[in-house]
Amino acid sequence: MNKKLTVLFFMVLMVAGFTTMTFAQEETTITVWCWDPNFNIYAMEEAAAIYGDLNPDVNIDIKEVAWEDLQTQLSTSLSANQTDNLPDIILMQDTALAKNVNSFPNAFYDLSDSGIEFDNFANFKVELTKVDGKNYAVPFDNGAAINAMRVDVLEEAGYTIEDFTDISWEEFIEKGADVKEKTGKPLLSAIAGQSDLLMIMMQSTGNWFFDQNGEPNIADNEPLKEIIRVYQELLEKEILVQINDWNQYISTFQSGTVAGTMNGAWIIGSIVPVEEQAGDWRITNLPRLANIEGSSNYSNQGGSSWMVMANSEKPEVAADFLDKTFGGSKELYEIILPSSGAIATYLPAGDSEVYNMPHPFFGDQKIYTEIIDYAANVPEVDYGIYNYEARDTISTAITQIMSGQDIQSALDEAQSTLEFQMW
Amino acid sequence: MFNSTIEKLKAFKRGYSVNRKHKMIGWFFVIPGALLIFSFYFYPIIRAFLLSMQGGVGNNLRFAGAANYQRLFADTLFKKSLFNVFVYLILQVPIMLTLALILAGILNDKTLKFRSFFRTAIFVPCATSLVSYAIIFRSMFALDGFVNTVLMNLNLMAEPINWLGGPWTARLLIVIGLTWRWTGYNMIFYLAGLQNIDPAIYEAAKIDGASAFDRLTKITIPMLKPIILLTTIMSTNGTLQIFDETKNLTNGGPANSTLSVSQYIYRLSFEYVPRFGYAAAVAFVVFIIVAILSFFQMKVGDER
Repeated sequence: MNKKLTVLFFMVLMVAGFTTMTFAQEETTITVWCWDPNFNIYAMEEAAAIYGDLNPDVNIDIKEVAWEDLQTQLSTSLSANQTDNLPDIILMQDTALAKNVNSFPNAFYDLSDSGIEFDNFANFKVELTKVDGKNYAVPFDNGAAINAMRVDVLEEAGYTIEDFTDISWEEFIEKGADVKEKTGKPLLSAIAGQSDLLMIMMQSTGNWFFDQNGEPNIADNEPLKEIIRVYQELLEKEILVQINDWNQYISTFQSGTVAGTMNGAWIIGSIVPVEEQAGDWRITNLPRLANIEGSSNYSNQGGSSWMVMANSEKPEVAADFLDKTFGGSKELYEIILPSSGAIATYLPAGDSEVYNMPHPFFGDQKIYTEIIDYAANVPEVDYGIYNYEARDTISTAITQIMSGQDIQSALDEAQSTLEFQMW
Repeated sequence: MFNSTIEKLKAFKRGYSVNRKHKMIGWFFVIPGALLIFSFYFYPIIRAFLLSMQGGVGNNLRFAGAANYQRLFADTLFKKSLFNVFVYLILQVPIMLTLALILAGILNDKTLKFRSFFRTAIFVPCATSLVSYAIIFRSMFALDGFVNTVLMNLNLMAEPINWLGGPWTARLLIVIGLTWRWTGYNMIFYLAGLQNIDPAIYEAAKIDGASAFDRLTKITIPMLKPIILLTTIMSTNGTLQIFDETKNLTNGGPANSTLSVSQYIYRLSFEYVPRFGYAAAVAFVVFIIVAILSFFQMKVGDER
């Protein structure tokens, strides 16, 4: 009760027009929950160091919490109205953002009027962090999709990376089949029963699994049917191999059994550790679905953003921290990029020297500027609240189609399952 | 008249009768445990029931009566998960308990060498972590994993089996995993039960010319009945609530054909748009099913 009163008190103070300076003079601790020590936590630590120079009275306390645990703790605490143990700032998967904001209204702090300039971030990413027109998060890592390929293998078959740039899936299949025939190597691998690659293809068309009113759109979703057709053809011609889990997926391209991969830009982190392949890799954009109107060569997979919790005692301090670091510090992005490969969606960072550096592993290709360019072109889609349900029903439908069921009946089934789950 | 008054007075002086005192002491010992059980078992069950009457997503809950229970009947995923756990139950529990009984019978033989080694070896799986064994099974049964390699090298198969890829092979994999993990656990109960059977009974049976099979069916099983009943109820309960194995071995796949009810509850609460009321309703149905099955098993198993 006391705490609620305190929060109320601070809110009254804020309304009364007191600036953050008034109470930033006393020592404030902002707790942050995020995952991945090499990537998110590292970036947060650097951000804390930068903010420490601007505002020495604020301590940033970073705690490592895996995403699944974070979601579980968030759901449990919020549904029990026990918010004392929650932090001030959390890292949120973009795919789960709308779901959480809708399920727990008033749990997240509205950042629309916090002074953060959202125009500086890639459009598609800002769109994902908006619910009902309000900005709930500061965009962070870049999930812009890349097509990473082994040029030494392509060369063996007489191709270059340019032959795979700005192409359609038809051309990709044609050339991919040729590469497979000449070198014996497929160009892609995907986890059976998971729809990540299909999701990437789907977003490249600018469509998703819901219509404008948020109703499921699966059974009559023409882009989806086209995508499934392409996916089947990739499998039939053995350009795409299916494996069973994530570790096998990583090992297919690390061991060189597969000559490329398509995923969010963060997959680079798993490509570069294999030193004997240094210089053999290049990145390019995705093939587009030529038969689908509005289809592009760009897409997105994964990514996360920083949110401020409404239960925070000093949400405006937390927001200010994000504004001065992830929301406005080119310096921060320059620091974190070389050592962690954390590519941002903060567009001004793209002009920086560091982003223009050639990457020796990719044959001195300027991959970071490329990726920032891709990010600016990714079609905006609204993942919607029921994104996880949609993902699972699509995965199920794909598995059924691959084991012989016809496309329409599997999609009809998926449509009714999803309709039921949203009911 | 006078005497009886004195008696009453004496009784009053003593306070309570011996019998009554004993009862009081008994209650004194029972009360802490009872309170704990009430607050940590019964109270949550009641709250779960109340929660299951609420509809809506996330924090936007409102009273919905039996709507969640009606919803269950239309839920294909719930039906599928229920079907899956019954497949596990019907396949796995009899296999496991029979195996445990046979192993207990063998290990109870006092002339067997390295008896305690075998006993430990068979019991060890159930001291391993659920998650780590599931992950090891996953890699052993991968397409290019240990099991397929062995089967192919023995020329038992021409092509590797995609264990995790087919619905029935994936279910079979879960059954194999469960059996490996829990057989030793149940065997220990049987071994303990066997210690209580007087060897003289077996000797007498042998003298009367009873075969090993006769001794098993006519002496061992009837005398172990209460323990068999206990293990059946425990296994039924455990299998219906299976979570770790399906989550880590197959993650419910392929196409939800190994999804268990508990995993569905987890998805409803933490992966999908949270519907805590509905998830509680699903959990409550599992509770009722376990209660009904246990009731039947007790009726069948207990002849008193």
